[in-house]
Amino acid sequence: MSVEIQELRRFHLTGEKFPVDFPQASEQELRPALLAPYRDLTSLRHDYPLVLIEDDTEGVFSQSLSSIMNAILQEIAIPGPSGERLRRDTLRLETKIRGLISCGEKGSLSEIWEQAISGLLSEVDEAAAGPLEKCLKSARAALRVDGELIGCDEETAFRLVKHAWKAVNQQQARTNLEKIDELLLKLSEILEVDALKSDQAWGPERLEASMGGAAGESFDFSALSHILSPGAHENRLPEARRERIRSAHAVLGSQRFFAATNGAALEEDQPAAYPFVFGSCARARDVFTERIQEMLELIKAIAIAELEIENRYDESQHDSFFAHLDETSLEPEDLAFFPSYLVCLHDKECDGPEQAHLINALSSGLPIKVMVQQDDILGRHSLGDGRFTLGARSLQLTSMAVGLGGVYVLQAATSVLYQSRHRIHEGLAHGGPALFSVCSGSVQNVPHIPPYLIAASAMQSRAFPAFSYNPLGGNGLASRFRIEDNPQAEIDWPVERLVYQDEDLQRSSEEMNFTFVDFAACDRRYANHFALIPRESRCAETVPVSEFLALDDSEAREKIPFIEMIDSKDVLQTLIVDRDLIRAARRCREMWHNLQELGGIHAPKIEEMLEQRPAVEESESAEQVEEFVSDEGTQQAAEEAANEQPPDGAYIDTPRCTTCDECIQINNRIFAYDANRQAYIADPDGGSYRDLVEAAETCQVCIIHPGKPMNPDEPGLEELVTRAEPFN
Amino acid sequence: MAIGISEHLLHSDGGCLMLEDYEGATPRWCTGCGDSAILAAVQRLCRDEQLPREKVVFTSGIGCSSRFPHYMKTYGFHGLHGRALPIAEGIKMRRPDLHVFVNTGDGDCCSIGTAHWIHAIRYNMNMTVMMHDNHIYGLTKKQASPTSPRGLTSNTTPQGTQLAALDPLETTLGVANCSFVAQAVDWIPESFYDIVSRAFHHKGFSFIRILQRCPEFLPGHFDSFMQDPKRMLMLTHENGVQPSPALSRLYGNQEYHDPSDLNRAREIASTPDPIPVGILYQDESIPCYEESYRKAEGFTPALVRQRIEAEFDKYTVWPATK
Repeated sequence: MSVEIQELRRFHLTGEKFPVDFPQASEQELRPALLAPYRDLTSLRHDYPLVLIEDDTEGVFSQSLSSIMNAILQEIAIPGPSGERLRRDTLRLETKIRGLISCGEKGSLSEIWEQAISGLLSEVDEAAAGPLEKCLKSARAALRVDGELIGCDEETAFRLVKHAWKAVNQQQARTNLEKIDELLLKLSEILEVDALKSDQAWGPERLEASMGGAAGESFDFSALSHILSPGAHENRLPEARRERIRSAHAVLGSQRFFAATNGAALEEDQPAAYPFVFGSCARARDVFTERIQEMLELIKAIAIAELEIENRYDESQHDSFFAHLDETSLEPEDLAFFPSYLVCLHDKECDGPEQAHLINALSSGLPIKVMVQQDDILGRHSLGDGRFTLGARSLQLTSMAVGLGGVYVLQAATSVLYQSRHRIHEGLAHGGPALFSVCSGSVQNVPHIPPYLIAASAMQSRAFPAFSYNPLGGNGLASRFRIEDNPQAEIDWPVERLVYQDEDLQRSSEEMNFTFVDFAACDRRYANHFALIPRESRCAETVPVSEFLALDDSEAREKIPFIEMIDSKDVLQTLIVDRDLIRAARRCREMWHNLQELGGIHAPKIEEMLEQRPAVEESESAEQVEEFVSDEGTQQAAEEAANEQPPDGAYIDTPRCTTCDECIQINNRIFAYDANRQAYIADPDGGSYRDLVEAAETCQVCIIHPGKPMNPDEPGLEELVTRAEPFN
Repeated sequence: MAIGISEHLLHSDGGCLMLEDYEGATPRWCTGCGDSAILAAVQRLCRDEQLPREKVVFTSGIGCSSRFPHYMKTYGFHGLHGRALPIAEGIKMRRPDLHVFVNTGDGDCCSIGTAHWIHAIRYNMNMTVMMHDNHIYGLTKKQASPTSPRGLTSNTTPQGTQLAALDPLETTLGVANCSFVAQAVDWIPESFYDIVSRAFHHKGFSFIRILQRCPEFLPGHFDSFMQDPKRMLMLTHENGVQPSPALSRLYGNQEYHDPSDLNRAREIASTPDPIPVGILYQDESIPCYEESYRKAEGFTPALVRQRIEAEFDKYTVWPATK
């Protein structure tokens, strides 16, 4: 059974189905051919599941199960055959854990680990159980990290970013609380010392309490108080200063921006810390506005506390300064002192008013971090069914954020979130706003492919390319943009080799591109844009999509594009593609080209400049020669200066003086110390030439040069001149 | 706390301190003593950095060099023989906000204080240590010290010392967690100033061995080096110190040495002639003990109060009579 070429062409141009009795694309569970080896993700060592590490102290908020297992094996397994059993059993355990997570088990790594061990032990007979248990025990002993274990599903992106945000804020809170506690401690000490000088501190009751119960009846504490009190009031703090310290102490003690740690938890009346995670940008902004006054008070209290602790608070100067401080005085460093605000949104919530709030929040420069989860990157366009958004909604959002300036932007698919963890950290630690747009790999329209593969395909097909933009990343867009997380970022469509068995059961392989069309083919909503054809219908006019996209319009008119997919029985199927989808793929490629240019790949302007490179090099070398010549000139001048004849008057190489006092002790009028306590000739007439010569002889570092005598009548001059000669 | 407003206020006022503001008692060192050059350079450093005097502590042990704290108008602690470092560590542990300097001699550091020295390197607490090495006990009038070169005659070694000298640089470079090692000579004050300035800015235990003249008990001991600039090896690097053009003209024997190269640093340290001058080794990544200790302990008013109460409770006689 085959399909005529005219029918293929008609389908390509009009989308009209051909009238043969052949299964429709929509009836099949098809997946791109390049995804064929990844049917069972459980046996595949990849980034998931991840451990969300609790209480990390080294800035590592997450680790993949595979990397943890690798570290364990590196530590405990002896290289060579003797360690083979340990390696094999540990990797079996890893597979088991991965299997449990993919079946929906939830819990911490240690819990799932135990569960996996019991599972493995129940699968083997008694004789094998002993050695297996021994191996797994030694692996367990080497496990150093723990935390929640998560697989790759639609919730992963939110959970990972939230966890990273929590880790960054906890780290910041620890440092800031430590500082605040230190200030509180020092302020309390000032107040306590002052309280010891008060009437109450020297009253009979206090004195009695300080002596303890045993001595109570032997003393007249009123009399003791009468004797001791008069001297106790000296040097009390001025009332205004005491009040100022008390007020700063109260503000610092009641702050609610940082969660209490072990120490502060001892205070029972400690108010609960503020929440910083919100479900809308408008709410986050409102809350920020509500708290701004309190933030200002805390910043003021810290500044006052620091000045008071140093005893540098000057009322004449600082009172009016603090009185005039308002929220506009808060500098970016002050704002960065506080925790950032995290807003978590789904793409469908980003329309209408929320989009306006999002733009406002990002353009405000405030430390608001917005995480938008893109569940449907091929969603319907507002113009109606059948029109693709092509990830345009997400790109619209991220490019708008880049255009605002000062916003850290990260776009990534869930499948590469682990690899992008340092960028997530960078964005969260960035002082200003940040936008994270993550493709979750939602299975709503692609139920037969796991989320990990959907997210990976979205990125692989350039439908949802990964990039980051760090506004502080350096000069020029290319250094701020990073697109290297994309596979084979320098070409249009990534190429992979597919190995398969042909009709004659012979091993065969071919290189295939993974294009936007391959990705769209997974989505059932767009099945009408594809038509399954028998393999024998392929002819000279049918070409793979990637090849078709590379043709110019006139050549393309002669051809019909197709892609290859596999069905649920792992049989390769050929599908021809209609014109609408090809148009969409071209648009996707254009957007990818724009991104490549921003990331410094294939930038036409730069390529043009590179062509003119020889001319530039020539002029550069001319400049270098010029520089060299001028260097030579300087060197020559310096040599000339060194060879200059010594002056007639006395002088000292002051920078080499070792402050040994020898010369000063000979004559402290001629010699004196400068601002660096190094000797110089203060007054050449302050003494005799003999003093100068003796000082030169005594100087251990030989830096005194007596010059020629000023007074020709000085006795013994001839001998002195001879003695001075070696020093001039 | 480095936040905008307080940073601005804390650095906007306060008069300019002059070198004289750091001068304490009049030095009683012998005329021509190399310690004077060290003192002048350190006072100059304090002035250039505008260090608040109440935030600076000099600690020392016993010996000529250990009189140093008397001559600085800052806080100081003239301690017991060999115990300059434990005192400095105690200060730094409780008051990490203070700038701690240690002045110790070859006898104080390398003889009676050796155990403290080795462990201080390992603790890597943030302080600047100046080891004044004149190869002799000067305060007690000429006895051999651990760094005296073999054959040196002294009151305790009239036939000349039998043992090879201990090398403080090699020793320091061999201890775990060593983070900054430099050598200076008192007769090139310009270079010493640059080195002590780098040491001050290094976060960790900065050890400077300073070869220092004792004109009273070892006159002329370093003359052969002083009179022949070729016997001085100036270490230069953009991450170390770079001699001025004037100094380079005088001391042309130079080596481009990267302070992160530990193996080369050890080789240089083991070559006493020519004398290497500059930064031999620096590693800023090594954590400071006082930081890890404080983090683990926690310092909130409530915790401090709780600990003090717990200490007092040990002496309570139960039951209380009232």
